[in-house]
Amino acid sequence: MSDRSPGESRREFLKHAGAALGTITLAPQLAVSEPVKRSGDARRWSDGVGLPNGWRQMQKIDAHNHVMQAVQQPDADWSAVESMLEAAERLGIEKLYCSRPLTGGVLAEIDAVRAANDSVLAAMRRYPGRIEGYCFVQPGNGPEALQEIDRCLEAGMIGVKLYNQFKYNDPTVFPIAEKCIERRIPFLGHSAYLTDQKTLAAQPRTSNALEFGELSARYPELMLILGHVNGGGDWEWAIKALRRSNNVYLDTSGSVQEDDTIGRCVRELGHQRILFATDLTMEGGVGKILAADLTAEQREDIFWRNFQRILDRRTT
Amino acid sequence: MIVDVNSYLGHYPFRRLRMTGARAMVEHMDAHGINVALVSSLNAVFYRDSHEGNRELFEEIRPFGSRLVPVATVNPKYVGWKEDLADSVERGGAKAITLLPEHHGFQLADERGQAALSRIAEFNLPVVLTQRLEDRRQRHHWDIAEDLTLASVIEAAAGHPTLRIVFSNWIGLDGAAMLAAGLRGRCLIDFARLQVLMIKDVPKLIDTLGVESIAFGSHMPFDYLGPSLVKLANLAELYPEDYDRIAWRNATEFFRLDLPYTDKS
Repeated sequence: MSDRSPGESRREFLKHAGAALGTITLAPQLAVSEPVKRSGDARRWSDGVGLPNGWRQMQKIDAHNHVMQAVQQPDADWSAVESMLEAAERLGIEKLYCSRPLTGGVLAEIDAVRAANDSVLAAMRRYPGRIEGYCFVQPGNGPEALQEIDRCLEAGMIGVKLYNQFKYNDPTVFPIAEKCIERRIPFLGHSAYLTDQKTLAAQPRTSNALEFGELSARYPELMLILGHVNGGGDWEWAIKALRRSNNVYLDTSGSVQEDDTIGRCVRELGHQRILFATDLTMEGGVGKILAADLTAEQREDIFWRNFQRILDRRTT
Repeated sequence: MIVDVNSYLGHYPFRRLRMTGARAMVEHMDAHGINVALVSSLNAVFYRDSHEGNRELFEEIRPFGSRLVPVATVNPKYVGWKEDLADSVERGGAKAITLLPEHHGFQLADERGQAALSRIAEFNLPVVLTQRLEDRRQRHHWDIAEDLTLASVIEAAAGHPTLRIVFSNWIGLDGAAMLAAGLRGRCLIDFARLQVLMIKDVPKLIDTLGVESIAFGSHMPFDYLGPSLVKLANLAELYPEDYDRIAWRNATEFFRLDLPYTDKS
């Protein structure tokens, strides 16, 4: 239990209530960079009941998260970012790899894309070593999208995030994939196999796992990550569809917390293709990895080591 | 001690569940430190005669004594539902009644729904209203159930001022609207889909509706138990003096459970 008075800690806690918010085979079994261990509140909060001992102190890297507010301006409201970091501290998540995609189904001008990425860069500067960035781009912006990737990488981002403006088997996307290969960076893609017609109508260009597989077959050296297997949509379909796409990783994030998603991923795909992530469902994201039937080594690989191997490929 | 107020037994037609029987459920509870679960029948959701699902449930859980507490499902459009409700309470020992307007084709505010709510209130039992069984974005094409809305519950509850309501598996609850509707003190909300950290729905609801309105719920076997256990561990740090209330005491009082445990730590 915390050594602070409950009333004081609760008031402080609610003050920060934020907005809602082929040939690259799997990573080589080489030494992996160790993430920096933090010594924050995770060490002071107890484990609770029914969870593995020391779960808060287990190393974790969140491979898919977001900066939810426009924080690039000097007078920005940082409350949502602060709430995310506070949650990360409590849950023992050392780093959050974030993007700020433009949603709503429109193809925005490149200035809006740059502003979104500037928010992520501002968060990286404000919280160095805790927030890292993916560069969001829209393939429809053409050469300017490629220039934006270079700009963001020079500023310290580590990968590219695409949303649902284009299907990933659309040739418009191919130059982005080629840029990722050239720069040795991961490509994280929004995904879902949507069976609900209303949602499908709102997101007609969301890519499903077979379409990820098509992109991976065309570019087997691409470090391709299927985003949020539990982000809505038929996750059983997605896992089965990836069985023959050996070079597609999958992240575990999303608001759906269904048993036995993680076990099914491991059985069908092997645990080294699975990356821990939350996509803002932070307690659920950690809880389902802790509750899944995994060996300690599998859990550690999923919590951080598999993604660290991807990051290490940039410099090897 | 932990009492889980959001769990099911039986089969779901659109997805394989790892635990469908009582023995597997109790073993799962033992592995995760859950002492008691209030369980509804999934079969009762989909059988034409829901009460046959209730009967299966009562038989299935009987060997496990007070570890599994029955919640009966009533379809007020089906013949004999009033007798079934009485049978569930008197012979089955049901501690609450689930209504499923989306699955059984009625509205809480229509004649059928109102009759059922009145009858449940007469038995002085809580009604369990589940917002959704699973995310609509992955639905089978035979699954046409929409999420329940808070507005529909508030409208339907207006005529039943003493009825106690369990909000099971909800997100997006507006505490201020619930307070204005007079639900403080007669609602119980499980946090299977709510957040303690980050957007902090649970602390906000506690601020608005009181700590007595919150209970542990997991939505097993649909969902992993881990997420709710993580949230409970976080609540233990933020509300140490109220931990027992959230983990088991609120549920015990709301459902009027008589649990034989002496060590409730």
